[in-house]
Amino acid sequence: MVNFNKIQMKKYLTVTVFAIFIASALISCKKYLDVVPDNVATIDYAFNMRSQAQKFLFTCYSYLPGDGDITDDPAMLGGDEIWEMPNKGGYFNIARGLQNKVNPLGDRWVDLYRGLRDCNIFLENINRVPDIDPAEKLRWIAEVKFLKAYYHFYLIRMYGPIPLIKVNLPIDAGVGEVKVVRNTVDECFAYVNELLNECVKDLPLTVTDPASESGRITQPIALALKAKALVTAASPLFNGNTDQAPLRNPDGTQLFNQTFSTLKWDSAAVACKKAIDVCHQVGMKLYYYNPSFSQFNLTATIKTQLNIRNSFAEKWNSEMIWANTQTIAATTNLQRLAATWWDPALLDGTIVRGELSPPLKIAEMFYTKNGVPITEDKTYNYTGRYTLRKAVDSEKLLIKKDYITATLHFDREPRFYADLGFDGGIWYGQGKYDDSQDLYYLQAKFKERNGYGKLGYNTETGYYVKKYVHFQNVIGTAQNYSSTSYTWPIIRLADLYLLYAEALNESSGPGTEVYDYIDLVRLRAGLGGVQASWANYATNPVKPNSKEGMRDIIHQERLIELVFESQRFWDLRRWKEAGDKVNTPVLTWDLMQTAAADYYRPVVLFNQTFGFKDYFWPIRDGNIEANRNLVQNLGW
Amino acid sequence: MIVFVFFSVTNYCIPIAKANAKNIPTNFLTTYQQVPNTKALKKLEVRGTVRDTVGVLPGVTVRVKGSSMAISTDLNGKFLLDVPDENAVLVFSLVGYVSQEIPIKGKDVIEVILKESSSGLDEVVVTAFGGLQKKTDMVGSVTSISVKDLKIPSSNLTNALAGRASGVIAYQRSGEPGQDNADFFVRGVTTFGYKTSPLILIDGMELTTTDLARLQPDDISSFSILKDATSTAVYGARGANGVILVTTKQGKVGKAKLAFRLENSLSQATQDLEFADPVTYMNLFNEAILTRNPLGATLYSDDKIAGTAAGKNSIIYPVNDWKKMIIKDYTMNQRANLNVSGGGGVAKYFISGSFNQDNGMLNVDKRNNFNNNIDLKSYTLRSNVTIDLTKSTEMIVRLSGNFDDYTGPIDGGTATYRSVMRANPTLFPAYYPIDAQHAFVQHIMYGNFGDGNYLNPYADLTKGYKDYSRSLMLAQLELKQDLSALTKGLSFRTMVNTNRSSYFDVNRFYNPYYYTLAGYDPLTSAYQIVNLNENTATEYLGYTEGSKLITSTFYLESMLNYNRTFKKHGFSGLLVYMMRHNVSANAGNLQLSLPFRNLGISGRATYAYDNRYFLEYNFGYNGSERFSEKNRFGFFPAVGVAWSISNEKFFEDLKPIVNNLRLRATYGIIGNEAIGRPEDRFLYLSNVSLNDPSKSATFGNGLGAMYTVNGVTVSRYANPDITWEKAYKKNIALELGLFNKLNIQAEYYTETRKNIFMNRASVPVTMGLSSAVSANIGEATGSGADISIDYQQSLSGNMWFSARGNFTYATNKYKVFEEPQYREAYRSRVGQGIYQTYGYIAERLFIDDAEAANSPRQNFGEYGGGDIKYTDVNRDGQITEADKVPIGNPTLPQIVYGFGFSMGFKSFDLSAFFQGLANESFWIDPSATSPFASYRTDGESSLAGKVLNNQLLKAYADSHWSEDSRDIYALWPRLSSQVNQNNAQTSTWFMRDGSFLRLKTVEFGYTLPKSFQKKLSTSTFRIYANALNLVNISKFKLWDVEMGGNGLGYPLQRVFNLGLNITFN
Repeated sequence: MVNFNKIQMKKYLTVTVFAIFIASALISCKKYLDVVPDNVATIDYAFNMRSQAQKFLFTCYSYLPGDGDITDDPAMLGGDEIWEMPNKGGYFNIARGLQNKVNPLGDRWVDLYRGLRDCNIFLENINRVPDIDPAEKLRWIAEVKFLKAYYHFYLIRMYGPIPLIKVNLPIDAGVGEVKVVRNTVDECFAYVNELLNECVKDLPLTVTDPASESGRITQPIALALKAKALVTAASPLFNGNTDQAPLRNPDGTQLFNQTFSTLKWDSAAVACKKAIDVCHQVGMKLYYYNPSFSQFNLTATIKTQLNIRNSFAEKWNSEMIWANTQTIAATTNLQRLAATWWDPALLDGTIVRGELSPPLKIAEMFYTKNGVPITEDKTYNYTGRYTLRKAVDSEKLLIKKDYITATLHFDREPRFYADLGFDGGIWYGQGKYDDSQDLYYLQAKFKERNGYGKLGYNTETGYYVKKYVHFQNVIGTAQNYSSTSYTWPIIRLADLYLLYAEALNESSGPGTEVYDYIDLVRLRAGLGGVQASWANYATNPVKPNSKEGMRDIIHQERLIELVFESQRFWDLRRWKEAGDKVNTPVLTWDLMQTAAADYYRPVVLFNQTFGFKDYFWPIRDGNIEANRNLVQNLGW
Repeated sequence: MIVFVFFSVTNYCIPIAKANAKNIPTNFLTTYQQVPNTKALKKLEVRGTVRDTVGVLPGVTVRVKGSSMAISTDLNGKFLLDVPDENAVLVFSLVGYVSQEIPIKGKDVIEVILKESSSGLDEVVVTAFGGLQKKTDMVGSVTSISVKDLKIPSSNLTNALAGRASGVIAYQRSGEPGQDNADFFVRGVTTFGYKTSPLILIDGMELTTTDLARLQPDDISSFSILKDATSTAVYGARGANGVILVTTKQGKVGKAKLAFRLENSLSQATQDLEFADPVTYMNLFNEAILTRNPLGATLYSDDKIAGTAAGKNSIIYPVNDWKKMIIKDYTMNQRANLNVSGGGGVAKYFISGSFNQDNGMLNVDKRNNFNNNIDLKSYTLRSNVTIDLTKSTEMIVRLSGNFDDYTGPIDGGTATYRSVMRANPTLFPAYYPIDAQHAFVQHIMYGNFGDGNYLNPYADLTKGYKDYSRSLMLAQLELKQDLSALTKGLSFRTMVNTNRSSYFDVNRFYNPYYYTLAGYDPLTSAYQIVNLNENTATEYLGYTEGSKLITSTFYLESMLNYNRTFKKHGFSGLLVYMMRHNVSANAGNLQLSLPFRNLGISGRATYAYDNRYFLEYNFGYNGSERFSEKNRFGFFPAVGVAWSISNEKFFEDLKPIVNNLRLRATYGIIGNEAIGRPEDRFLYLSNVSLNDPSKSATFGNGLGAMYTVNGVTVSRYANPDITWEKAYKKNIALELGLFNKLNIQAEYYTETRKNIFMNRASVPVTMGLSSAVSANIGEATGSGADISIDYQQSLSGNMWFSARGNFTYATNKYKVFEEPQYREAYRSRVGQGIYQTYGYIAERLFIDDAEAANSPRQNFGEYGGGDIKYTDVNRDGQITEADKVPIGNPTLPQIVYGFGFSMGFKSFDLSAFFQGLANESFWIDPSATSPFASYRTDGESSLAGKVLNNQLLKAYADSHWSEDSRDIYALWPRLSSQVNQNNAQTSTWFMRDGSFLRLKTVEFGYTLPKSFQKKLSTSTFRIYANALNLVNISKFKLWDVEMGGNGLGYPLQRVFNLGLNITFN
């Protein structure tokens, strides 16, 4: 170094530094910015192998609306079956008349159209999967086609005619192309029917491994849905609904066919029968409580109650066609909301809420013990139903002995006692299983254990939904509530029987087959046949002989049998009866009273209104602003 | 202020002067450098003193213009100089100060005040990539803030920005320690993308706002804000929102200087919230329930209300002033800063350390076994060392670390404050005294109610404590090589930078035992209490680990610099290569975990002719990993010209009046790569989760475990065409200097931002897309003006005065914005400001339910009499989104201004600074302030699962609609125990004017006389007192207007501070 002359050294240094600079600048710029490794997940990976494709299949299933989840199922709190605390929010606000088009309550437009896109993606790509068994592939395709049909059906039920998404539009589709119009009602149901027809043959009769597959789509499910869809299409809301005449697309297309067609009922009846046959073929039958071991020798009264309660709340019982396996946590929570403090020793807890409250009209909807409506039973003291009466010993399995309660609570059909809890009513099970001993009962007057007055935990009407509470649930100390979970029935056999009876009556009037199917359901409920019951007890004994009379009977039978099962909400709409049935004041007992005489006076809790517009959901304003080809539903 | 003077002076003072200082009488000339062959003319002796706004200035070069006669001032700022004749002009210059030319005009005593460079016509300004440019040569638009202005009594630097720098829009919304960063924007915002804040570079290193906030003003050497295209073009795709450049100090050759500053400050809320008294609270709570639901169950019985009003037994009729119980009225904080600098022939150093002690404002209860008041200690150590490797090679090593150690309540001060604002004051006492029945318990018997889920802030505060540690380490190596050997004026510089940050926390706590009143006898006051949570509560400590954050950044920058003057032609050039790499340990997902990178080459060329005409060209060529290969690199050019009219020959005569007149104009294109959302890393790739639990389905008969498989979610669709935003910026500026006293700088700018990334509104939902489709389709424009004025005046030998003002005006609007097909023209955003709020027009409150039922339907939930009535603008019989119209001023203020003065008399100095903003609207947050409501934002996890009851503001209690007093123009609508959605809509009802003017800082200082300081061997000895946020003038009275909508948030702080500044020579 010493030998270096200074200038030389400087130059050296300069050149070196300069070289570093140039070199650093030239370090492959491109590579430096290529930070993304090759295997970043893209949609292509979803169909590279069977196990990945299965995830996509489950994705298609994941859009299933959460039946039985009060936060996701509008038919539970959105109608007039169950009343709630005013601040409950959610779908209960539909019942309170707060539906709106700015931010529609329970809007599924976004979610289900996403589901449909995913279904189509699945159908477009499933043939790329190399390692899938061809039979399994066909089954999966059939399942996804079913889901496509179901999601369309769900949207039609809510919004009426909708734009059908048969295939996906490319993501860079032109503006004109993406601004779709609503298809007509007939096109909508035809497409649902077409998809269901396509899928049935590739679906299994039953799932092969119930432990991991129960809830997956089978032939009976697809056929039952088809039956339901066709019945819906044939019902007054969609079949020749002239109220909806003004609903037209911008190009003038009328969306509701204005001509009523009995043919729709004919094909609905055929579809129902086909579904029933396949269900019978795989061994389904109406549920009866018949445990392999029974600790106590139960009375017939309690057994009948268990027949009724368990047909709903017993997991995968013999009449369960399709149950929702996605909402088990929600139904467990539901049981907690429905249950109340029946055990006088454990009143401190806060885990059971007792807040699901059926209004008086639901209590009055149930038949008398003679199997006819309380308004029609000539042996029933209808006008004196709000007077007081004391329970006697023979009634002790239904009402606490010597308890004074409303006359309305006496001499009712078993479903009344199986589905409802009320002041003085016996609540079987929940830890006390021997019906020869004292059973739990409710005390629901002001500040009583089941009455109004415990902050944030109370009935709003004086009634409780016993149906939701599995009979083996037990309240423990503190925050303990052990409950038996169940899967929410989407379609059960009784539902299908009643649909068949309805369709058959509409298509060809009352007949043996109509009576037979409705009587099957009544028999399980501990009631006599339709004809005999009306002949013996009704003020109009020949009512079952006419089509109109039978229609009334079938409708009420359906409302009773499927009460609290998210059916009334949709049934009243499709029958166009919601205007009459919902548009009445919500009555309750006078909850702030301690004396029976004061308590048993009906008071108005809320004046429910159901307008013409409420038959269909509003389409969100924002969705219409993004696509002016969509017309808003009438009245919104 | 003195500190600044110390640095300005001592760092730059001429060594010779110091070396001799001790031996020379103070009134004697320190140096007399006369070039020997100057022709002797008729000589005049001129004497005088040079000062700055704070005190005398030693080391100022006094030169006779046009000759080489020069001298430096002595330690007392005095000079004595022979001049050739009475027409001579003296030039006073000192690095860091504006040079001044003063004709002697036959006077023999001249008093001069030099102005610090950063506040006016600078000597030098720090520009992009650490370049230094003479202010008089500037073409681009750069504001520099004087470091002394950054010294406000707050440990957050960003709070000093508002009104101090023209071109910066800034405001502060929260006074929460650690969360009190001001929001600031360079020339407002002209994009609707996510990144609107400027690029922040500290010593060339890109850092966050929080890192900037923690910087110690004592360590800062320069603070520049680059505003226009010319000054930011070299940052290419990252410069569109402006750039903030900060450099830290370096050592200067000389003896070791030791300076320290000590401060002790007292901090309190600028404005205390007034709450309703407990009895009113209970009455109105009941009213809130019953007015909405006559059947509703009320929380308070008549007996309870009466008992409380009568002040009976405080266990049975509890009243908690949670705020008083938990939070002190004020808190004391300490700050200390110490630095040493100096250097010899080979090396120079600047080493500083600072220590901040933030003490909590929480009351510590003696009942508790640990001290859980906040104790936040923050340490900073910085070492900048410069080593001359050879005569032409310089190496600079900068190391700094910033460390926080915290121990305090689990939720921190802020969450504690929030919980105080949301706890029910009268339902239960904070704790029950241990009674005979519970004599055995070892724990505090906290009060609660119902299920035991009510918020008890006292329990949350005392149940445990949190420890956290945070550190940021920076290391930087810089090499500078003078390449004059190759060609004159050429130099090379390379810099390698890395930083690591880390954070972790640990909580230790027990689960409080909650008790509630089980029953009491109103006559004897006997009561029983029962436990609510015996199964979950613990007497022993539990433990949870908090989040752990680690990031690492690497940065390389190499630069060639050329700077040479040929006679009247000045050339300079710059070529920079840079690369940056950043990774984070807890990114959260694969795409975010991939390194963030940038790569670019930038350049600058300038030409100046005769100090009159200036031309500048800049470009940035850089790329980002965020875009697809074909869109990865972008080229961003900018040009600018300037004309110094006052340097023209024809202007000579005007010079005594107009000492400076200059025009500048620039135009260029700058990019913004930070588009979309921060989590949208690679917009050209789709983002797919192939194992998403939210898309799972479950099957099985439930006899065994259910069979669940996760599904697939597309959270982004690929779009390879996505690229950066482009900003087309124009800037015109006028610089005017009058009488050497008044300087005005006025700039006008326009900007058009194109290619703004936005979601496509034209894709209907029926497409079924699971995420929005986006494209570079938006456009926005902005324009505005920045004006700064300063003035200085020396009144007599002992007194001086200076004043200063800044004004910034910035507007913006949407130019192209894809939106749905609105039927109503007023709904379109195009032509509206980006920060324009849309809302409903509130007419008044409904008189009664009947009126509500007969008015156009309002679609936001239940409403009736006493709720807000909105105008049906489109007359369709319903209040829907279509009735929202532009209301009020933008939420981002359009005008920010500041003005102030400093003055001195002998050893005393006084300064005050006012700051204000205008053209801003804000909305009282009807949810956050809704009395009794259980209000919680998603981020407030500490409040999850609790029953909250917002406090009741006295103003709301005094003025609300009630069935008895139907005031349809009351401040608050009909009460509700929950947030009423009808009233919570954005509307004119809660719209307020956000304008204010505040006395931001006042400072009074006293500097010990020099003679006295000499004995102490100090060059600075100053004691000062200052205050922050002293007075606020605004139309809005409920809380400090600058906080905006949420009055129950953490209040802004008023600070009183005492400080001491000493520098040892």
